[in-house]
Amino acid sequence: MPEKPIPENDPVVSKSLAPHYLISMVILMATFFWAMWDEDFGQRPWKAFQHEWKDRYSTFLKNARSQSGDAQKEVESSPDYQKLKQDYEAASQNATPRIKEINEKLHDLSAQILAVQTVFTDRRAYVNALTYSIETETSASSKQSKLKDLASYKQEKTSVTMPDGKKQDFDFDHLEETYNDLKNERTQLSAELGDLIKPVNEKKQLMDSYLSDHMVNLTPSQLTNLQNGVDAWTPKIRQINVNEHTADLVREDSANIVDRCESCHMGIREPVKLTAASMSAKGKKPDEYARAFTSHPEPDLLKIHDPDKFGCAPCHQGNGRATTSVAKAHGNYEHWLWPLFSPGNYESGCQICHSADMVVVSNDIGWTLTEGKDLFRQRGCMGCHRYEGYDKEPEDLLSIAQQIKQLDQEKRDNFKQAGDLMKQADKAENNDEANRLNDRAVALKVTNSKLDLRIVQLDRSTKSLLQDTKKVGPNLKDIRLKLNKNWIPVWLKKPSDFRATTKMPNFRLNDDQIKAISAFLWQSALLDPLPKRNPGNAAHGKELFESRGCLACHSIGEGDQLQGGTFAANLTRVGEKDNYDYLVRWVHNARERTRPYCPLEKKDIGPEDYKKKGLPYVFDLDHSKCPNDGHELQVQNMTVMPSLRLSSEDAQDVASYLVTLKKQQPSSYPDAPFMDDPNLKAEGKKWVRHFGCAGCHEISGLEDEGRIGTELTTEGSKPIERLDFALLTEVAARGGSEPITDPDDRSRLPEGPAQKPWYDQKGFFEHKLAEPNIWDKGKEKIETEKLRMPNLHLSREQVRALTTFLLGSQENPLPPNYQYRPLDYRRDVQEGWWIVKKYNCMGCHQLIPGQKTSLMAMARYQDAQEQLPPKLLTEGSRVDPEWLLRFLKNPALNDKDNNRNGVRSYLQVRMPTFSFSENELGKLVRFFQALSRQPFPYIPEEVPVLTTKETEMARSLFSSTAAPCLKCHATGDPAHDRFATAPNFLQARGRLKPDWMERWIIDPQAIAPGTSMPSGLFKRQNGHWVFSGPTPASFQGYDKDQTKLLVDYILQLTPEEQRRVSAAMGRSSASTGSSPTGAKSSGNAGRGAP
Amino acid sequence: MKTKNSIALWSLTASLGLFLLAGCGKKEEQPAATPVASAPAAAPATPIDPATAASISGTVKFEGEAPKAAKIDMSQDPACKGTNIAENVMASGGHLGNVFVYVKEGLGSRTFDVPKDAITLDQSGCKYHPHVLGVVANQTIKIVNSDQTTHNIHPTPKDNREWNESQPPSAAPLEKTFAREEIMLPVKCNQHPWMRMFVNVTKSPFFAVTGTDGKFEIKGLPPGDYTIAFIHEKLGEQDVKVTLVAKDTKTVDATFKP
Repeated sequence: MPEKPIPENDPVVSKSLAPHYLISMVILMATFFWAMWDEDFGQRPWKAFQHEWKDRYSTFLKNARSQSGDAQKEVESSPDYQKLKQDYEAASQNATPRIKEINEKLHDLSAQILAVQTVFTDRRAYVNALTYSIETETSASSKQSKLKDLASYKQEKTSVTMPDGKKQDFDFDHLEETYNDLKNERTQLSAELGDLIKPVNEKKQLMDSYLSDHMVNLTPSQLTNLQNGVDAWTPKIRQINVNEHTADLVREDSANIVDRCESCHMGIREPVKLTAASMSAKGKKPDEYARAFTSHPEPDLLKIHDPDKFGCAPCHQGNGRATTSVAKAHGNYEHWLWPLFSPGNYESGCQICHSADMVVVSNDIGWTLTEGKDLFRQRGCMGCHRYEGYDKEPEDLLSIAQQIKQLDQEKRDNFKQAGDLMKQADKAENNDEANRLNDRAVALKVTNSKLDLRIVQLDRSTKSLLQDTKKVGPNLKDIRLKLNKNWIPVWLKKPSDFRATTKMPNFRLNDDQIKAISAFLWQSALLDPLPKRNPGNAAHGKELFESRGCLACHSIGEGDQLQGGTFAANLTRVGEKDNYDYLVRWVHNARERTRPYCPLEKKDIGPEDYKKKGLPYVFDLDHSKCPNDGHELQVQNMTVMPSLRLSSEDAQDVASYLVTLKKQQPSSYPDAPFMDDPNLKAEGKKWVRHFGCAGCHEISGLEDEGRIGTELTTEGSKPIERLDFALLTEVAARGGSEPITDPDDRSRLPEGPAQKPWYDQKGFFEHKLAEPNIWDKGKEKIETEKLRMPNLHLSREQVRALTTFLLGSQENPLPPNYQYRPLDYRRDVQEGWWIVKKYNCMGCHQLIPGQKTSLMAMARYQDAQEQLPPKLLTEGSRVDPEWLLRFLKNPALNDKDNNRNGVRSYLQVRMPTFSFSENELGKLVRFFQALSRQPFPYIPEEVPVLTTKETEMARSLFSSTAAPCLKCHATGDPAHDRFATAPNFLQARGRLKPDWMERWIIDPQAIAPGTSMPSGLFKRQNGHWVFSGPTPASFQGYDKDQTKLLVDYILQLTPEEQRRVSAAMGRSSASTGSSPTGAKSSGNAGRGAP
Repeated sequence: MKTKNSIALWSLTASLGLFLLAGCGKKEEQPAATPVASAPAAAPATPIDPATAASISGTVKFEGEAPKAAKIDMSQDPACKGTNIAENVMASGGHLGNVFVYVKEGLGSRTFDVPKDAITLDQSGCKYHPHVLGVVANQTIKIVNSDQTTHNIHPTPKDNREWNESQPPSAAPLEKTFAREEIMLPVKCNQHPWMRMFVNVTKSPFFAVTGTDGKFEIKGLPPGDYTIAFIHEKLGEQDVKVTLVAKDTKTVDATFKP
């Protein structure tokens, strides 16, 4: 083949491609370097973290001082610490004079405000009432005259006695102005005070944290080991596969959670405490790295939730898999639905698995999440919103009715089948066959009798459930008997104006709605007559009210003066609204109903129904069957308020006191004649239904109303698109100015007015709770379409708590074995807390060490701690569960005389009768046993019978001057019991567990901190417990535990023996001739006296 | 291409080396650490020059009619002998006793040695002696029972730990300390409800309790500006400011009203 000649000017030959190659090469190289860089750093920012970690942690370890020896002094003497100390002292010296000055001013101001406030609030209430009557007045002329009245009332001068004793006259406007000025001044001063104190506290904190940052709780050799570990560290991803442990059984619906959080958060699990300050470069403020390297603030939580099993994201949320940027890992970008919980709502993570726990951890004090759970229940959120586990009695009732139906059907089928089988047996070909068929028939009959008993049980559960069903608000069928008619519309206008702390939210009703609703409620209420009661002694009533324990739940006084519990209503103005006769009945037994209600017939049963059947008109927990259909009746008011077992006279006295609590006369409320207008009734019913009033109240004709709100059980899992921000979507996403303009509502926002975008679940919940109708902003809607959720007038902290609760209310993404659904004793604990919280047991009793009860804070107990209700820290190991059951049923422990305390007769405060159902009694008893991890059922141990010699020895110990047991313990002799501060020994048998008694007499302070019973009565000697005081001679050579001897003696103590010993101790009634006159002891006088 | 490749690899290595160097460079920033300083350990107490020490003294007066001391019925325990009157307001001849006087402010960060001697609290005649007691924090209180009956000693502090111990007759004295400052810390006996006293735990030894004549004296104060607090269990607190120069002897009086 001839070779072709090379053409001239062949570009391949003549043109150089070098520039192309060069450019490509440069691009290629650049790309290559970029790829290399991106591979190693761009996509792996965590590597930088790990390098940084290695440096900082190893420096920290090198400089850390083992907390043994003189480490603290050494650290304290370092120049850095000394500098911080000087700073602090200088700051404190500088600020002190001004702080003092402000404090004095604030003190004066508070006194002035108080003086003005009492007069002002009275007058304002009157002005409001007048204004309201003007607004609702229809005739123009009387409107005019009322306006005149108002103007003249406003000009009337009242004199205010200032704290310095001077009197000043004010007209209304001037008064209002003065009041507001004073309050403003106080706010300004408080703010200034805060600003002043802050830097001083900060300096102090710096000083303290410097100390803790440089001390570690490890031995030098442990430190060296850590150091070696850090030195050998090479960067790598640290990954936890949450499913790994169930790898052989991966379910499709289980979580596909892979956590790489620890690739940056390297210090989380280190055995030393790492703070941001200790992980910062010297002299620099904590940076991104320092904050990432801190150890977990609650190492105890990690002990329970092993990070290798749980990872981080199941509790904290965020995208645990992402490693390319901090924002992505934390889930703070649009493609991740559930961003990291923010610091104010950390506890949301607990709710995801612990939604069935009312108290999350056993030392739960001041948990935000727990407050959220309590609020959700106490404020009646579950009246409108279903939430699994809350207020579930009505659902359980339905399901039981369903079960009974099924069982009935099964019974009928069995009966029929048994008949068939017997017929077949009769005609069987041989005896074997006949016997086989007959056996089957017999088995079916036995099954049926089992089913019968099961149905009986279910019927009893029905009774229990009816008894357990409670409503948050009062029964509105009783309002004609209970309330001042004219007060109702004023209340509906804005309940928080009348009672700032009320559970009743503000529904933003317009005047027509108020008229219609009050008319409907008034006209549908019961008209049964109430017995007339004689007036009682208000002074005695006040004493009873303050001493019997009412203030454990109720509060009294307003603002700074408020005292008592927050569980139930504030009674400061109860005299303006309640009728005396009704109050007497209520105080005597709040559960007493006007008429029983039959859920089957859906009507209130009256005397006429009983008469038709020839039955007496008696209904209570023992007579709870409907005369018409034998069905279980609701015989109690659905309130959690218990009976204090007061006598009728005492109830009259308390009610007489309560009606004196008022700021204005009940008669001063303007007439509301429209409430009798029958034309308004239908309209009213419409609105009552519309606003879901029956969620919290019992209302005639609306007993079976469903909930009107969204179910919230998994509200936190809702993707953001399904939360309707309405016209505010843009504002929220962009972070424009705060749309809530009302200053009160604005102050409810936990994070303050919006500074940055808030288009997330947290932002939604917080805004909704702060101002529930916020999404109506800018919309034109007719009344029935406006948002119905009322304003719960929550505080900032309460909004935060509820938001925390809602954020954690999620569909659980974790495999079932991760969720907290215990089946052992812990389940009893779980169930028990629901009841403990339901009835506010913690208003009186301490159940968690350190927990404060409402009563503890009250002045009357400051000097008389022994008069407080007992602490229940070890109740399960203290008492026999059967006894506890009896006691909870009837705390008087006496069938004849109820007006007493069964155990602690010397206490003024009374353990009430809660009329617990069988269901709740069982749960409570199991709860206390489980809380102390006691076996259930309890089998009491045999108490040995003491020999005569042993009895004598024990008696000499029991009555020795060094262990004067009967000095404080009651004996039943009224003269003696005037001074008693402890229960009668005769109650020990059958009530107390012997092991516990022994623990108790050895160290009572360890069981009930602060108890009157002293410690140090016994000491350990030669392996035995011996008495610390001079031992009676008869003990010579006794080599067993003397504590055990004393306990056995107490357990076989008889009344006669106790009397004898008491008399021998010289504390018989002989010494009671003189009545106590001493100021100090007068507090005890009469207590327990006949 | 081989060479180019190796060049690329080489330069890659080089740049990686640079990165590493840069990484190493960061090491120069030393994380915060305790310099191993050998400064002397914090001085135990600031010495006060006795040559310049000043003192204050004064009388606490009671204005108005002194309330008649209430008698206490001690019949519930025959071992409680003697007459007993309530000690809550001890006023006679216009003087008020049992007022705790101490230097509340002005000592700055000065520290003081804990006195080695224990202070005795005696229970005798079912009554505490003294009724108002001052101690320096961590100073030992020796509690003695001189009665022929059992007492229990039960402080109910706000800022210290609560305890409650039994002390039979002629038992060994109890030795106790309180670690934190606390004024008017109540102590009671649960078996004799009238028995109450107050311990005052202070940082400094500059305190006194007025006698029945209302007089008190605090010695050995370094010159300075002070706030002197007068505290009575029932009648509350009064603060007085005083400036002391070297060797001053000042009189500071206070008056309480019922």
